[in-house]
Amino acid sequence: MAELHIIGQIIGATGFPQNSLFCKWGVHAGGAWRLLSGLKEGQTQVDMPQTGDMAYWSHPIDLHYTTKGLQGWPRLYLQVWHQDSFGRCQLYGYGYIHVPSSPGQHRLQCVTWRPLGSWQDQLAEMFVGGGPQLRSPDLIYSGADRYRLHTVGMGTVELELCVILRHFDRYGVES
Amino acid sequence: DLPTAEEAYNFFTFNFDPEPQQQPRRKKRHSRRREAEEEGEGESGEEDEEKEEEEGEEEGELEGEDDEDLFIIDQSAQDFLEVKRAEYIGYSRRLQRERETLFVPSMRPVPASSKLPENVRPRYLEEEGLYVGERPPVCLTNQNILENRILKQAEGRKWFGDDGCIIALPDPINESSSRPPLFHLEDELDPALQAVYRKALKTKHVNLYITGMGDPQADYQLDVDASGLIFSHHPLFSREHVLAARLAQLYDQHLTRQHKNLTRLLTDKVTQKCANKTKLPALSQVTQQRIAEYKQEVRHTRQLRDVEQEKDRALLKSIIRVWKELKALRDFQRFTNTPFKLFIRREKVDREQDEQEFENDIIAEVSELEAEAEEDYQRKMSEYRRQHEEWKSWKRKQKKQKKKRQQEEEEEDEESEEELGEEPEKPEPPEKPDMGDLEEQVREKAARIHRKPGEPVLIPELTVSGPVTPNEQCPRAEFARREDVAKRALFIKVLYNDKEVSRTDSRTLNMDFRVHFGQIFNLKIVNWPESIKLQVFESVGSSSSLLAEVCVPVPESSILTGSAPFEEMEFSSNQRVTFNHEGVGSGVPFSFEADGTNTQTLLTSGKLSWKLSCCVSWAVGEDDVPLAPPSSQPGGGMYSGLRQMDAIACIGASGLNDMKKLGKWAAESRLDPNDPSNASIMQLLSVVSGGDVAVPEYFRLEQLQEEFNFLTDEELHRCRRFRLLRLRSQEVPEFRHFKCVPSMEREISEKVFQDYEKRLKEGEIIDTKEHIDAHRALVAKYLQRVRESVINRFLIAKHHFILSDVVSEDEVPSIGLLGWNLFKLAEPKRPLKPRRKERKKVTAQNLSDGDIKLLVNIIRGYDIPIRRPYASKPPVSAKSGRSFAEPFTAPVSSHTPQQGSEWPFGQPLIRPFVEVSFQRSVLQTSTADGPNPCWNEEIVLPFSAPNGDYSSTSLQSVRDEVFINIFDEVLYDVVEDERERGNTIHTRIERHWLGSIKIPFSTIYLQSRIDGTFKVSTPPVLLGYSKERSLGSEGGYDAVRSRSEGTFLSLFITIEPQLVPGDTIREKFDSQEGERLLIASEVFEKEASGRFPDRPCLTTVIDINGKAVFVTRFIRPLTPPQELLDAFPNGPQETAELVARYVSLVPFLPDSVSFAGVCDLWSTCDQFLTLLAGDEEEHAVLLCNYFLSMGKGAWLIIGVAIPEVSDKPLSQSHINKTEGGKSQISVGEIMETHQWKSFEMDVKTLYFCMEPISGFPLHLPFSEIRPIIEAVHSTGVHKVEAPNVEFALAVYVHPYPGNVLSVWVYIASLVSAR
Repeated sequence: MAELHIIGQIIGATGFPQNSLFCKWGVHAGGAWRLLSGLKEGQTQVDMPQTGDMAYWSHPIDLHYTTKGLQGWPRLYLQVWHQDSFGRCQLYGYGYIHVPSSPGQHRLQCVTWRPLGSWQDQLAEMFVGGGPQLRSPDLIYSGADRYRLHTVGMGTVELELCVILRHFDRYGVES
Repeated sequence: DLPTAEEAYNFFTFNFDPEPQQQPRRKKRHSRRREAEEEGEGESGEEDEEKEEEEGEEEGELEGEDDEDLFIIDQSAQDFLEVKRAEYIGYSRRLQRERETLFVPSMRPVPASSKLPENVRPRYLEEEGLYVGERPPVCLTNQNILENRILKQAEGRKWFGDDGCIIALPDPINESSSRPPLFHLEDELDPALQAVYRKALKTKHVNLYITGMGDPQADYQLDVDASGLIFSHHPLFSREHVLAARLAQLYDQHLTRQHKNLTRLLTDKVTQKCANKTKLPALSQVTQQRIAEYKQEVRHTRQLRDVEQEKDRALLKSIIRVWKELKALRDFQRFTNTPFKLFIRREKVDREQDEQEFENDIIAEVSELEAEAEEDYQRKMSEYRRQHEEWKSWKRKQKKQKKKRQQEEEEEDEESEEELGEEPEKPEPPEKPDMGDLEEQVREKAARIHRKPGEPVLIPELTVSGPVTPNEQCPRAEFARREDVAKRALFIKVLYNDKEVSRTDSRTLNMDFRVHFGQIFNLKIVNWPESIKLQVFESVGSSSSLLAEVCVPVPESSILTGSAPFEEMEFSSNQRVTFNHEGVGSGVPFSFEADGTNTQTLLTSGKLSWKLSCCVSWAVGEDDVPLAPPSSQPGGGMYSGLRQMDAIACIGASGLNDMKKLGKWAAESRLDPNDPSNASIMQLLSVVSGGDVAVPEYFRLEQLQEEFNFLTDEELHRCRRFRLLRLRSQEVPEFRHFKCVPSMEREISEKVFQDYEKRLKEGEIIDTKEHIDAHRALVAKYLQRVRESVINRFLIAKHHFILSDVVSEDEVPSIGLLGWNLFKLAEPKRPLKPRRKERKKVTAQNLSDGDIKLLVNIIRGYDIPIRRPYASKPPVSAKSGRSFAEPFTAPVSSHTPQQGSEWPFGQPLIRPFVEVSFQRSVLQTSTADGPNPCWNEEIVLPFSAPNGDYSSTSLQSVRDEVFINIFDEVLYDVVEDERERGNTIHTRIERHWLGSIKIPFSTIYLQSRIDGTFKVSTPPVLLGYSKERSLGSEGGYDAVRSRSEGTFLSLFITIEPQLVPGDTIREKFDSQEGERLLIASEVFEKEASGRFPDRPCLTTVIDINGKAVFVTRFIRPLTPPQELLDAFPNGPQETAELVARYVSLVPFLPDSVSFAGVCDLWSTCDQFLTLLAGDEEEHAVLLCNYFLSMGKGAWLIIGVAIPEVSDKPLSQSHINKTEGGKSQISVGEIMETHQWKSFEMDVKTLYFCMEPISGFPLHLPFSEIRPIIEAVHSTGVHKVEAPNVEFALAVYVHPYPGNVLSVWVYIASLVSAR
């Protein structure tokens, strides 16, 4: 009955072209994993920092999983969105990161990317906003056929996760 | 509009320079300048003066300050500082200054005279015939500038030549470049220098390190055993060597063939099959088919055998031929180079037997062929017969037609003939096969491929024992060749992954062109082996050349050093080598014949590792552990998913990944299971079929999931702790409020789930114990289910937050509010009129048991029933009985206030006190006197939420009620002994229930406070009490007596601390109403709320399906039950009252309790009557509909009051304006109170000797039994502690149409009369 607690927060994001950002997040785990309690997806508020580049969210994450196997260790996928002065939201980046498998506190940095459209798309994006998005956001963590995709790197999302393992040693998983 | 970050940054970091202040001064200066111009004086003088003036002033100031500073201690910073204007010099002034200091050479040409010494004419050397180099080209302007500048310098003229020009060297630039141009043609480029474009490639080697190399134990070793080298051709071969090599090759072939002995095997097979065939009984279809198969097989095998035999013979022949050639060559050249010698052994055979066998064989074959031919013939014959038959029938037809035609239409004869089509060819009968021919053919073939019968068997034997002619006896050319051979040496380089790792010692080439190395290289490897190469080098003297390169396959991981067989590798090189001695060279045509015909070209070739020469294998460690890497590297990866395939990996057939195909092929090709060469495949197949290696047809996403699972799903399901955690997070009602889940499995007992499982199991079973009939039980269940589904809906909807849910922000006070507050400050303070202050609201999250208290402030009561004069005389009781006979028709005049003085012990009219009970805690006020008492007491009751959950949902669904009961405290003197009366007081206190108020907790919670005067629900009849208005009697001046309108109680109830009530859901519900109607109603609602912001305005309500419905759709005339209409055929007023009473009897179920924190759900009248439960809207709507159908003008008024406080329908919140405007309750009550009368009479008659202490009827609409019991319980009748008290109870249920029941409970407590 191995258990995994993921407790932490999405601290914020930095390095994006604009800094009024919010973030949609979710945790994806394999079939062997079962969520006991906690919300496995959510969305942060929009942070509009007046000074500095970094948008701070401090969005809490508290999950309790149990598992019958190690496959499909939970991973966190993120979508960073930008809300402009008209209140329109626009995708700024996808990113995904594995939840650390070693217990303890971890400070993580998740780099993000964004699909790059054709030049028409980019031109339209420059003037009227919007932009290409993934048709199926599963691609963030599935990664099949991604070589066809043209992307551009965006900023970094900072996370702080504390991982607590329980009874993994009963099944020969040393932590 | 917020500034951007950049703007903000700029704002805060900006250096605000002081504004330049010289503006006015400059103006001044300008004006002065103008003055100066006017005056015609020089400017500079003025300026200087001005400056001096300024300086002077400044000095003066400074001096003055210094004087003061010496004595003043308190100095401010300004004393040390001086604000100066920024220095600025005007543009024109600056130009002027610059003009003074700077020199700008002119661009105009300098006159020649100034360049030369005076009185010297320019002298041109060119004109004098001297050679003057061409001057470098310089731009004329630049030249002028330079000249002008130089002339200004001291000794400037020395730079000029005699001709007045600047001295210059001739232009140094060559006319043509000295370097050859770099263009060239592509073809001319040295091929070695040509570049080839290659695409960017990813390096493959990065990932190919063997896994687990970090582990020091895992070292892998590859042993390369290069044992030797034999050349099958070498440039230094003499002709004899060539032949000898060929001979050796053929002999090798012969040996291997003999070893396999295919001919023998096939012959045996043929005979055996023949025997088998004859054994089979030719009866059934199966066996016949079998026989046919056998025949086929035998024929096939015989053919194979014939081919093999022919090959054997040809080989033998060629061996003999080559040997003959060799001998001829030796004779011709008169020396021998090779020690080969061929012996041919003859083996005698028994002629008789041999002939016999031969004959037998031929006969068997012939007979077989005959049979085959016969079969063929038969088949052909049958075919012929069929064709012939067809032909015949065609003929017949034609004849018939001809006849017909001739009779009828002769002229169309030809055409009809054509219609019949072409005449089929007449089939030829097949020839009978010639049996004699067959035998001849067979014999001929046998003679060709078979040794003649009786001929001895020839067995060649090659030996190397022959003498080689020593060097001295050889001719020159041969000698030179031998010398050359002796000079040659060979060595082998071992390359691993294209890197040289080691090389053998160089060995000299022997005469027989064999090199023995016998060296073993142990390669400790880190990288995954990709290629192992052996390079053969030949060295002559110090130079060495690459002869050949051999790629050695990387061995299977199962091949280990001890067990590895030596393998031979062939190589060849295409080098052209020619010699001028006997060596035949390589890649050069040569001939054996003296005349140069029959030329041959041979390339250097040979076998490396042949004849036990090279072997590559994985080493075995000291503890017999193979030092081979796991085979799951590149190629082996495909097996990892299929555990079953391990059998194959053991065998070592790595390339076979499609076992099905292999099996199919094996079945099709009829592999001989006994053939040793097939042994491995057969074994593999047996393993395959036995182990069932069928590749699974399905595709599994996570292949190794099962293998790696910690535990099974069932175990996970069984875990109680996880189940509890999951149920809690799913907010299942039973577990929603679990605070702590134990961390150990054993601390959770199975019992936790019992209730939950029971509920799941018994979801469909209806428990009729609690309910009178099945219908009500069904309705209750249905209601439960609706409640659950609605709650689930709203639990989801509740997660939709708006800003005010998340951010609590104090409202910015408006001007008006501020003004009002200011005005309030000026208000006179009135300490005697205290006001309730607003308290701070507390969110419900961080609360625990005991934090919340219920404050009940009982202020005062009005019109509490007063005691009837207590008398034991029967007439009194009779009088009282009479008084009940017409209690509502006329005021009871018989009871005079004077009777109050007749109370025993001089007790007052009444001594009421109030008892408040809530959640099993009961508290009471002190006792007051009189029918209009004033308590003004605060009662504090603790509150605990169910399961300790203080969330707003949970608090809203608290179904507890606050009972406020009014009792009369009666003192009885119980002193038995009259003598003691003087010094002892011994009384018994009894309390008599007078009435009660019920307030649900949810109301208090939602309203946050309840303040006002409420009507106490009193029973219609109170035994021993009269409900007279007694105000007048107390005052004594008001003679008017009227029947009491009821008892009232002033209350203030609140919760401490104040809790934030849960919000109702603002979710938009989908609606089936038309879009226009919805918009219009929205507009109306907005308008109305704009005009009357305090009044609620409803346009759409939510029906029981969660759909928004326009509110007037609920109101339609509805005929009341016929029984009610028939009750008073000619009294419309009575009928109306009866209908109202009927509606009031439908039980109440407040929405706020059933749909906690949700909203008002409106059910239709039909649903309402089916469910028999609803809150005030349903009652009001039903009554309104009934009244409408009765032809009365009825309106539904929706207002706000303390919701659902009393159990009277249509109380304060919804007023039904009926025509009469009378209370609706009276008629029905009259009817039913007759029952009370009879009950009382019964009591009286039964216990005529007893005195009733108290007694009253309770009237309730029926919903469940439990509330009735509770109501009885709350009256506290049972608490009477008088000795020999007796109780009387009667229940009367009055039925109304549609399952509506009116329940009367009559209770009396009696004490036997003394």
